[in-house]
This record gives sequence, C-alpha cells and structure tokens, in this order.
Amino acid sequence: MTAAWKAAGLTYNRFLAVSARAIRRSLKEDKRIVAERRATSELRFASWKNGKAGEPRDLNAANAAATAENASS
Amino acid sequence: MLSRAARPALRAAVAAPSRAAAGPNTAATYATLREIETRLKSIRNIEKITNTMKIVASTKLTRATRSMNDSRKYGQTSNEVFEAAETTAAEADEKKSLVIVCSSDKGLCGGIHSGMSRTIRRLFAEGENFDLVLIGEKSKAQLQRTNAKNIQLSFAGIGKDIPTFADAQAIADQIVNLPTEYTDVKILYNKFINATSYEPTFIEAFSEEAISQSPNISAFEVEDDALGNLREYSLANSLYWALAEGHACEQSARRNAMDNASKNAGEMIGKYQILYNRTRQAVITGELVEIITGATASADM
Repeated sequence: MTAAWKAAGLTYNRFLAVSARAIRRSLKEDKRIVAERRATSELRFASWKNGKAGEPRDLNAANAAATAENASS
Repeated sequence: MLSRAARPALRAAVAAPSRAAAGPNTAATYATLREIETRLKSIRNIEKITNTMKIVASTKLTRATRSMNDSRKYGQTSNEVFEAAETTAAEADEKKSLVIVCSSDKGLCGGIHSGMSRTIRRLFAEGENFDLVLIGEKSKAQLQRTNAKNIQLSFAGIGKDIPTFADAQAIADQIVNLPTEYTDVKILYNKFINATSYEPTFIEAFSEEAISQSPNISAFEVEDDALGNLREYSLANSLYWALAEGHACEQSARRNAMDNASKNAGEMIGKYQILYNRTRQAVITGELVEIITGATASADM
C-alpha cells in the first residue's frame, strides 16, 4: 500500500517538510515567529557535468519542480 | 566586504617591518615618520576589525554549540536503528560511492575548510574513486581546481546562520534525486573535539540495499517501501548533524583565528609605537643640533 503523498510524487523528506510547515503555521503567534525562523532555507545549488558547473538555481524551487515531475510520471 | 578590504592591508602590514626598520637611517626622516604613523593607524584599524569579528564569532559560537549538541542527539538517535540492525556498508562488486563535503561559504576561519579538501585529495591520491557533493562555496573553490570531474552537485548559501533541518532536508532530497544509484554515501564533516581542534570525519549514510541486507534487520518489522523512507530521513538527519557540527567548528575556528590576529596586531602596534617614538626623538634631536649650530655660527660673526 502506498501512501497518498508517495503517489503524489513527494519524497519522505518533502512530506515531512510540508507537514512540519503546517504544524508551524498552526502555532500561536509568539511561538510561530520563533518556529518559522527555523524553516527558512536560502540554499542555491548547481549540478555539474564533466567538470563544468551548471546554472545556480534556487534549491526549494527545484525541489518543488522535481515533485511535480515525479507526480506526473 | 570587510574581509576583502582587510586582506591587502594585512599583507602590507606583514611586509612592513623590514622596510620600516631601514627607515630611520635614511636621509628622509620626516617621510618615514609620517609613514610609520599611517601604518600604525592602519594596524590599529585592523586590530579593531579582528577584535569585533572575534566578539561576533564568540556570541555565535555559544548558539552554534547548543545547536550542535541538539543535532548530535538527532544523528545518534537515528543511527541507533542501524546499530541495532548491525548495518554495514553494502559489499557490492561495482562500488559507486558518493562523498558529501560539509563546509560553508565564509572564510577567515583558519584551516578547517582546507583540512577537509586535503582529506578528499588524499583519498583520491590513494586511488579511490568517488563522486562529490559540495556544500558551501569554500570547498567548491578548493576542489573544483583538482577534482572538477567528480563533482555532481554543489550547494551555496549555507553558513550565514545556524543550519536548519529544512536545509538538510532540501539537500538530502536533491541528493536522493541524483540519477546515479550509489552503493554507499558518506558525509565528511569537521568533528568538534574541543575548542581548538577539529578533525575531518566521515558519517556513513546507508543505501537501501545495505539496510535490507544488514544481519539483524529481522529484529524490525517493516514494510518494504518504508526502508526507502528511512534511508531518506536518516540521510537528512545525518546531514543536519554534520552541518550543525561543522558550523560550530567553523565559528570556534574563526574565534581562534581572530583572537590570534588581534594578538599579532597588538604586538605589531607595540613595536611600531616604539619605533615611532624613537624616530620622532631622532628628528627633534637633529633639529636641535641644527639650531644650535646655526646659533653658534651666527654668534661668532
């Protein structure tokens, strides 16, 4: 049996991140601000081919795109 | 911005003593006096900068060590499963290894980034072959010169603040999505031994086969597809651990480096102050001699 999130193309980490975000957002105002700071991630990444760096891309956007791709396949 | 500006000045200050020492004996004493003064001023400024950076690093260090201790618990707890299952790296015929190097974007913190690059280079020199995932600009800059062919992914933007679990998850996701299947994944990070010593260390992150083939896995009752999830999650956990510990090491190393820099600058200031006073005295004496000689010469007339 596959879970619904697996069928939607999410990886387990992605699934955890989404659920963690939902929980953070449902916190009370003062606690939420502290918690949301732990959720920020401003990473950029580049994939390399044969010793050449590709275009640097935003990591979160790329992960979202990968999710969409996995879902359709 | 600050570091860029400070570096040439530092270099100039280091090169200075030999030039300035020859100064007082030359004819143009006035010029050297001014030179010494400007140099003194610039060293003072550098000392101020390094001192401030040290203080900033100290305050960041306390937060970083706290997050390191927390994350260590995360990592160790997640490894408990593998210890109980006695998991070892899979013995495959064709090994395809991946090494994740956890450094950061910022420099001015002694040799902690180059320590890791050296470990990687040594492994390559010993004939091992593996692919690289680099986290942080510093390791990228150092390793792209020698091992550009092996780099698969590089991440930037880490090290501004304490690494978050969201960072680790996003990185782990991207690594899991790599097209090649790796038989074993290792994470290289700086192990925090004490405030002055760090050691590049590996954490194993196991592949799915390795987990399912481990001798004691029957102790756990799992559904088949749960193992993949466990693998992804434990990779994120280990990454988070490595990132947080690396961050703590970096801050501590930066604090030490800046402490040393301030100390050196203080020493240099002392030396230049003495030199400055002595030269000033020589100039005054010279002037006095001139005046007296002039006075006696005109009195005789």
